[in-house]
Amino acid sequence: MEAGVILLLLGLGLLSGSALLAFFWAVNDGQLENLEQAPEVIFDASEPMGEPGDCFPDARSREARARASSNDSPR
Amino acid sequence: MSDLLQSLNPGTPPDARSYVERAEIDASLRAPVLLFFGTGVAWLLLGSLLGVLAAFKMSFPHLLDSADWLTFGRVRPAHLNIMVYGWASAVGIGVGIWLMARLCRVAPRHRGLLIGAGIAWNLGVLAGTIGILAGQSRSIEWLEFPGWATPILFVAYALIGVWGVIMFRFRRPGHVYVSQWYLLAAFLWFPWLYATANTLLIWQPVQGSVVGAVNWWYGHNVLGLWFTPIGLASAYYMIPKVLGRPIHSYYLSILGFWSLALFYSWNGMHHLIGGPFPAWMISASVVASVMMFIPVITVAINHHATMRGHFHYLKWSPTLRFTVVGAMTYTIVSLQGSLMAIPSLNNLTHFTDYTIGHAHLGLYGFFTMTMFGAMYYIVPRLVGWEWPSAAMIRWHFWLAASGVALMVGSLTLGGFLQGLELNDPQVAFLTSLKTVAPFRFVRACSGILLSAAHLVFAVLFIRMLLRQGGPRAEATLLSPPEIPAV
Repeated sequence: MEAGVILLLLGLGLLSGSALLAFFWAVNDGQLENLEQAPEVIFDASEPMGEPGDCFPDARSREARARASSNDSPR
Repeated sequence: MSDLLQSLNPGTPPDARSYVERAEIDASLRAPVLLFFGTGVAWLLLGSLLGVLAAFKMSFPHLLDSADWLTFGRVRPAHLNIMVYGWASAVGIGVGIWLMARLCRVAPRHRGLLIGAGIAWNLGVLAGTIGILAGQSRSIEWLEFPGWATPILFVAYALIGVWGVIMFRFRRPGHVYVSQWYLLAAFLWFPWLYATANTLLIWQPVQGSVVGAVNWWYGHNVLGLWFTPIGLASAYYMIPKVLGRPIHSYYLSILGFWSLALFYSWNGMHHLIGGPFPAWMISASVVASVMMFIPVITVAINHHATMRGHFHYLKWSPTLRFTVVGAMTYTIVSLQGSLMAIPSLNNLTHFTDYTIGHAHLGLYGFFTMTMFGAMYYIVPRLVGWEWPSAAMIRWHFWLAASGVALMVGSLTLGGFLQGLELNDPQVAFLTSLKTVAPFRFVRACSGILLSAAHLVFAVLFIRMLLRQGGPRAEATLLSPPEIPAV
């Protein structure tokens, strides 16, 4: 039983330790800098900000999306 | 860079170039992702059937009890494991690999690795399910598959984890989006959790009460360090992508990710409050469970602020409708879980149907709804075809939403009353069972609604693969930009 507890605690330590290691890598790699621009990386020229990307496949929804697309402006 | 991208005219506009890039990633992932999605939907149907059967057996114990393999002790764990590994994990892997490739912005390498892993994964689930129904269940919650089936799952998953790390290693330079953080973490955490739990419970088994500790460490972490990161990765991608606006605060998203990584792994022991364990283990787990308020509230604020002023989009986007309901449920179920870890409340809910309701709210209300949302976005892009019926999508949503609301509502109320009576020494145990009986019947009926939702979705999915319904110029799919001739 003691060996089991030790293994379990070791596992917990490794899990938390791996998170800490990844955190330090992120800091050193500059991943926590320039966070204002970071959320925009999922958009590109053909899927730009301000253009909704999904709707129900019927005419009413398509029109609603077109209206939203023309009314919304990128942040 | 791929051949097609290289062959483009140097004067190709950026929108056409990025369109081709995305199209190539989708084409490369079509077979593996649809393999995980298709088999996942098949398991979802079988798991739903077994779940409804198990639920009705709670009200009618002799229902279909003539065959050994249809007895409650086999049907219930078969339902649970099919839903966890056959449906939720498979669809989560499909969504995860698609998102990872999209966000790394490179054509996926080693596609055969994913296809092989998908086939092996399903063989592992099939073998494990047959084992359970044949009476070889291990009687360890969430790990009932027989010991000879789990190595197949582990090897299959290891291939996927390796693929994820390779993709991340060779990603296009730039900022790592928060969804990538969540996915990379999930890809690394799950094989580690699964291997550790199987080592301690099967290959070098611990004894006595430590079995419970390992069991709940694994059971809870599968939810928090496997399903939750994939669900949040999807929500953090789908919500801004469908709205066409970035998430409200990237600072909050990063804070949410890192606090989840630090606090969640300690949570599992709160299932053992009152058990024969050192007090510090339980106390540490309760504290960590309450600390989960930090990642949960950051995610809730972020998603709500991103949606603010745009809730009308829910009327016409299936992806957004499922994803936002899933994300809102994540907040509710997580806060509920933190409160249930507080010993005074845990005394009331422990060993009652309240906990079952909580589990379904998490795995279905949050994770499954989020995955449905992701599939509504991803599948048209893989198949190159539009969903064939808006009405069926709406039926799917309302059946699933009403089904899970009825299920969680009945289990929560029934479990609450059950807990009050179990804590009252003047009330006989049998009385508490009679109290909860009507609520269990309602829960079984809610399973019919959910099964109907899954059937509608399965039909939609098959029609999609068969490319039924008329072609449409623009609906879910964005109009492709004009690409100049080479």
